[in-house]
Parts: sequence; C-alpha cells; structure tokens
Amino acid sequence: MRFLIISLCLVLVSCGSYSKKYGLQSEPVSINTIENVYFDSASTDYVYKANITVYGNNFGGLLIVKKLAENNHRVAFTTEFGNKIFDFSFIDDSFKVNFILEDLNKKMLINILKQDFSTLIKSNLPVRASFKIDNFNILKSEKDKSDLYYYFSNSNLSKIESVKHQKPKTIFLFSEIKNSFAQKIEIVHQSIKLHINLKALNQ
Amino acid sequence: MAFLLVATWASAQQKMTNTEAETLKALVKTRASQKKTIVSDFTQYKHLDFLSNDIVTQGKLHYKSPGFVKWAYVKPFQYSIIFKNETLFINNEGNKSEVDVGSSKMFTELNNLIVNSVKGDMFDDEQFDISYFKVDAGSVVNFEPKDEKLSDFIKSFQISFDDKGDVDSIKMTEPSGDYTKIEFTNRVLNSTINDAIFNN
Repeated sequence: MRFLIISLCLVLVSCGSYSKKYGLQSEPVSINTIENVYFDSASTDYVYKANITVYGNNFGGLLIVKKLAENNHRVAFTTEFGNKIFDFSFIDDSFKVNFILEDLNKKMLINILKQDFSTLIKSNLPVRASFKIDNFNILKSEKDKSDLYYYFSNSNLSKIESVKHQKPKTIFLFSEIKNSFAQKIEIVHQSIKLHINLKALNQ
Repeated sequence: MAFLLVATWASAQQKMTNTEAETLKALVKTRASQKKTIVSDFTQYKHLDFLSNDIVTQGKLHYKSPGFVKWAYVKPFQYSIIFKNETLFINNEGNKSEVDVGSSKMFTELNNLIVNSVKGDMFDDEQFDISYFKVDAGSVVNFEPKDEKLSDFIKSFQISFDDKGDVDSIKMTEPSGDYTKIEFTNRVLNSTINDAIFNN
C-alpha cells in the first residue's frame, strides 16, 4: 500500500505542470498580448547564416525572413549558392508552401519547419498567464495545442519554450539584440535531434 | 507601355544571326580550351522578389584544368566548396565535411555544369535550348535546361561574355523569377596554382 502511494505521488509529480516543475511563481496578468519584435519590421530584410545539425549531419544555408504586412511573413531557405531549398508564407493562421525541393517534400518535415518558424515569427499572441523566476518575467500563451512560455529579461525576449504535455519540446534562444534585431538565434529540439543555429548576416 | 518596354529591351539585346552565334561559340570554345587555370573574385547577388535588397556575398574562385574548382565565400561569412576527384569538400565556417558524388549522376552533371559555366563553354544543344544575343558590352547567351529535373529549379542560365569571349557574369533564374547573379572581377588566367589550394 505504501509503495502504491509513493508510486502515485511520483506519477503526480512527474505529471505536474510545467510552471510548478520549473518553480515559476504566478503573477497577476498585467498585459494582454505578447510582443515578439524580432521579425516585426517590414522595412528590414532578416537574413541569417544558418547551421543545421540533424541526427549528426551538419549543413548550412541562408534563412531569410521578411514581414510583408501585419501577420504576413515570408520565410525562405537557400543554399550559400543561392539555390532555394524552401519558401513558405505565413499569413494570419494559414500556411502555404510556395516551394520546396522535391527530396524534402515530406509531410513530417514540413510540419516541424512550419511549427518552428511560425513560433519564431509570431507576435501579438494573447497572454493566458504570467509568472516570474529569477530575473525573468514570463508570459504564457498557446498555439496549435502547445503552450508557449515567453521569457523576458530587462524587457528583451530572451527565450521561448514550446511546451507539450507539460514538457519543453522546442526551445528558442535569442541573444546579441541590436535595435530589436536578434543577431543570434538558436532553435533546440528536445525530442528529436535537430538543432538550428542562426547568425545574422551584417552586410 | 508594354510595347515600349519590349522595344527598349529589343534594342538593348538583339538576337544574333546564325553566323554571329557560330563565331561567338567558336571564340568561347577556343578561349575555354586555353584556360588551364582561372583565379577570379566574384560578387553574388541573390534576388528574391519579396526582399527590399539583394543579398550580396563575395568570394574567390580557383579553377584548375581539367576539373578542380574551389568556390570560396569570404564575406560576410566563410564557406567554401571544392570539387575534386568526384568528391565535394565543404568547409562551413571551419566545420569540414565531404560528400562522395561519383555515384550520383545528378552531382556529376552539376559538377560539369559548374566547370563548364566557369569556362563559359556550355554549348550543349542536347542539354539546353540555347539563344544568342548581342548587347552593348559583348554578348549574352541564354541556356534553358531541357532536363525536367533541372528545369524544376532552374529556368535558365544566362552567361554574359566580354569581347574576348571570357565570362563576365552568370545569372541563374528560378521558375519563380527569383535569381542569383554572379559577377566576376579581377580575373587572372593561366597563372600557376598550387594544388594545395584544393585541399580542404
């Protein structure tokens, strides 16, 4: 019986909410929407040198993001030579593949890229909860059945954690912020071996 | 308005007669066969219609006959690719890797394409629909791939030649209209290139 209770407790602890597990302290919600300013200027061409490691294989290219209008982004990936690998449109909540190399035209891969890049560029999401830990103010929102936790430090967005079943699935890290332009971005997947490193091309 | 545009384009770029085309072809082929080595700087402009500005990258090309090519970007990042003995050697900001492409028909063709376009000699009527034009500063030849797999991602290669029959620039246009243009400058022909240049 005691064993059963202990097991039950363990199950309860491991199923505990993300905020409890990571010691986030609840705060009253004081703002309505979350702003991600890093891809928010329509006059900026966001161009990054990308290094992608997937299951031990490393390859590079250029990631290009352009805001065309409110809630309308284009995200393209090319090789260093300029050959297009993929080209997506994110308009409101819709998603369109403008181009993808035939060899990469796989539903599962496209879905991962769609999730990653829509989280990366999305702004103005509604705030569902607010927390605090150490020097971070944390705002929680949700998108496509995932919870999103936005970590702000000195009002700069430094991390987004995409959480599913109370576990972090994908972590987005932003650093070297210059005039609302994140010079370095890392996208780290927790359940698959995919790591995307982005470094801004300063022309 | 459209008529005016067409008229302007036509005056800047005039179709060659068969004789003129044959003369250019002979000139480029002779020049290409004499090119034992090429060292050149290049500037690449990636044009995407939705961007405000082209993405500009710069680097250095080394070519040594019959088929060694080193294509190295130096600005704003360091990335090089070497084609040697049916192998691709990649150096991605210090991260080195290689791909054996001897078994891949696609890569062998790509390799040939790069070597031939660098020399200018892509005049293969079986592979391309070719059209020849005269422009102010020399000539422009348009190569449209016949192969369906290649034409899926490249609509045309456009090579601009100077009066001597050397390649000034290469423009690769995608079916969407987006393109990559590479301009060559400071070209040196037939200097001695140490083989070590082609080591990754």
